[in-house]
Amino acid sequence: MTVLPDVRPHPSGRAQWWVLTARLVGPMWRNGEVAVGVAVSVAVTASLYIPLNRLMDGPDLAMSSYAQYLVPLIVMQAIAFASISTAFRAASDSVQGINRRFQSLPIPLLTPLAARIAASICRALIGLGVALACGYVIGFRFYRGPVNALLFCVLVLLTGLALAFLGDTLGTKSRDPAATAQWLLLPQLIFGFLSVGIQPLHRFPDWIQPIVDNQPISRLIYAMRSLAGDSGDGVAPVTWSVIWPAVGWVIAVVAVTAPWAVLVYRRRP
Amino acid sequence: MAVLAAGPRPDSRDPVSDLVSQTVVLTRRLVVRSARNPMTVVHAVALPVAFLLTLKVVFADSITAITGENALYRSVPLVALLATMSGATIGMVGINAERRDGFLARLWALPIHRAAAPLARLAAEAVRLMFTTSLVLATGIALGFRFHSGIIAAVLWVMIPVIFGLAFSSIVTAAALFWPRGITVEAVQPVIILGATFCTGFVPVDRYPEWVQPLVRNQPMSPAADAMRGLAVGGPVLSPLIATALWCAAMFGATLLPIIVGYRRASTGR
Repeated sequence: MTVLPDVRPHPSGRAQWWVLTARLVGPMWRNGEVAVGVAVSVAVTASLYIPLNRLMDGPDLAMSSYAQYLVPLIVMQAIAFASISTAFRAASDSVQGINRRFQSLPIPLLTPLAARIAASICRALIGLGVALACGYVIGFRFYRGPVNALLFCVLVLLTGLALAFLGDTLGTKSRDPAATAQWLLLPQLIFGFLSVGIQPLHRFPDWIQPIVDNQPISRLIYAMRSLAGDSGDGVAPVTWSVIWPAVGWVIAVVAVTAPWAVLVYRRRP
Repeated sequence: MAVLAAGPRPDSRDPVSDLVSQTVVLTRRLVVRSARNPMTVVHAVALPVAFLLTLKVVFADSITAITGENALYRSVPLVALLATMSGATIGMVGINAERRDGFLARLWALPIHRAAAPLARLAAEAVRLMFTTSLVLATGIALGFRFHSGIIAAVLWVMIPVIFGLAFSSIVTAAALFWPRGITVEAVQPVIILGATFCTGFVPVDRYPEWVQPLVRNQPMSPAADAMRGLAVGGPVLSPLIATALWCAAMFGATLLPIIVGYRRASTGR
């Protein structure tokens, strides 16, 4: 009679996290996620810049070119698309029952979430990189030094993190990959169009200006624009009064999502 | 020993009327299912309306300043076409879900006409398209969109997005049958975005750089948007209408065989 050895493995939390992250990141290169991510960023750049360049350019932009004006919005859209993928993946995990499996294993509750968030940062990095490369092609440059350029990227990634957290919770809750993915195309176009990323505030009708001015995308775009700078002096300097509202919105998204996320993740699926 | 009674088979009138009644039942099933799914309703109702309002708020003044005519005559057709396309992914996901659940295989094993289930999908899609298009049109009319060329033009106007949407759905369905993974849904999105923004319904064609103008003028959505604008406010109708019809015929023609083969594979394969 064989006796089962009474030795339990003690995997470290970090190793578990790494395995689960690799599970998501590895297939990304093969299953087309990276290709679609690149395609989306290129498509967003082309579809905003080429039709709107002549329509929107004008002296009241107060910037050297429409490309310099538009790229923050392009980056935002690329990041938003990355979070859609995250939501999609989370919903797939949820509906395929692997979350339930994880709950029955000796894994801390939040490790699978941490892995999905890490994978979403990979997607956000790809989106950011491709969007900046596309921006470079159409004429976008960083004018305020490497530190501010780096802060620009950090702000974008923080936004990506917050959106990924929101997307992951939404996806896990809905358990319906299809519905989650459909949700997201028009809403983000609507949010993007109703922001100062596309045209200056004063070109919007009066009644909607307060909304446009204060909505999260606009606040983030003000901050990104000031971190990127311009060849002229039409852009606000980098000050706390520009950066703080953007960071505030990111924190607000996380703060609102967190309690809801706790409810969603603790539920037995 | 029990013998299975070779009882009378259900009355069969003739294949065609069977096909019709079976299609009606299956269509009803699809329509009821999507009407009860809150996500679908939001997708078919709230988002197109919100997007139309957004276009009105953001771009209407710039476009009207250039063209001298109400920008709604561009944006209402654009949103009608866009809504048909962005909704097409619903059916795509639906067919894959039914494949996974074994529903397609089950239908294959039932004594019903082989064409009933695919035709039901087509019919349900037409219902959705009709509904969304009417809704976009109603919103447009509330904002100030008017038909200046009579009732026949208005009927034709509604037909265009419906037929275009069916053609686009057939492409998407063919894609879904051959690449049944989730990523296909996401891969459709850049196509829709590019289609909508490189379209004469978005921005007048002379605002695009010269090198991209031929593309903008001839991609399938542009003739459809042009024809719809012509039907509403006046202007050339016949040649964009012919171009639209050719595009739709090409889309149907190119995907018919793949859909038949793919559907058989999805219903019978493992």
